[in-house]
Amino acid sequence: MSPGELPQQNDQPLTARKAGLILCLDCHKVLPKEMEGEHCPRCGARVYSRVPNSIVKTWAWVITAAILFIPANLLPIMQVDYLGRIEQSTIMDGIIYFFQEGSYGIGIVILTASVLVPCFKIIGIVLILLSVQLHWKSWLRHKTAMFHFIEFIGRWSMLDIFVIALLQVLVHFGNLSNITAARGATYFTGVVIATMFAAITFDVRLLWDD
Amino acid sequence: MTPSSTTEPGASTPSIDPDSVWVCPVCDLIHEPVHVEPGYGVVCRRCGHTLYAPKKDSIERTMAYALTGLLLFIPANFLPVMTLNILGIEGTGSIYDSVTAFWDQGYYFVAIIVGLTSLVFPFIKLSLLFIISFCLFIRRYPSDLPAFMRLCHHLDEWAMLEVYMLGILVAIIKLHHMAHIHYDIGFMCFIALMVVTLSSSVALDEHLFWERIEKRPR
Repeated sequence: MSPGELPQQNDQPLTARKAGLILCLDCHKVLPKEMEGEHCPRCGARVYSRVPNSIVKTWAWVITAAILFIPANLLPIMQVDYLGRIEQSTIMDGIIYFFQEGSYGIGIVILTASVLVPCFKIIGIVLILLSVQLHWKSWLRHKTAMFHFIEFIGRWSMLDIFVIALLQVLVHFGNLSNITAARGATYFTGVVIATMFAAITFDVRLLWDD
Repeated sequence: MTPSSTTEPGASTPSIDPDSVWVCPVCDLIHEPVHVEPGYGVVCRRCGHTLYAPKKDSIERTMAYALTGLLLFIPANFLPVMTLNILGIEGTGSIYDSVTAFWDQGYYFVAIIVGLTSLVFPFIKLSLLFIISFCLFIRRYPSDLPAFMRLCHHLDEWAMLEVYMLGILVAIIKLHHMAHIHYDIGFMCFIALMVVTLSSSVALDEHLFWERIEKRPR
């Protein structure tokens, strides 16, 4: 099944903006363009033809994420105290540990979630922002798919933080062994939050505008 | 919704009745509404985004899953997940303990984010889904319903139970060499909570819910 066709304007696809309409992003109600900046009568959200200052806000979040990414990876995020010997480990140390143990599967999962995904997200969003600002009009469907992928995987980077959250509760054996978080955990959480906000503030319709 | 022909070909800005079209939220393209059977979906002609995919018995199913989730919520988060045994010394804790552990060590920011994403947001989301679907089910329309629905929409990606679930699995793999692990009741409840929460999101037909809210008798 495919939705019905509406007449196209001079072979140009007819968008809501050209037709003088606004889509409410919260409840997907279609409104006339006179409603710009006002509240949607159905859900109460403010409606805009395009999210105001979307590009600037997304740049701000991406740059924040890129800056936080450095301490997040260089500082230890976890501290293991085993028989009085304190060992701090960064994200990479944790991944190398799994590879040395021979648990390649789980090593790849953590490598993907903690290092590759944040990296990919930052680079991907920068590419999308540049393509809007420099009017690169090719590969639109692919760029949109990449943006949706970035939106979807954002939350999975919290994985390492949740692992530490649970480990520090379970491995709590007094003098024998303890696991606690270390300074990098705060920066790492910051990266995840910043990249998620970067994806939320970006108005993907800007990619498709001529 | 009924399809209608609204455009005058050749006009520079055809005036279109807002209620007679669908607009793609991703690429802004206008579509004429079509009837879609539950189980099928329609995608945008230009960008491929799913415009509408109705769900079967959405209200009833969302309500059932959300209620089940609410019942599981307390045991899943406040009962011990598992017990570790090394040389007779035991370590145990719940999801809730994992949040307070960050707080006690002074990692306030991490504690707040983990607390919100694994406890507060999932709970608010399940409660809202239950309240909304229950209201629609008994055909009562309190004035806060649109606000609830919007909040639910925005909380979607901030509730991270399934990510926490993967975190539990990774922790198990890390620990199973060095200690004997006993899985407690909280573990089973958490798995069930995650499955039920995901199911409630899948069963939710936002299009239908908004339409019912809009057509409420006032």
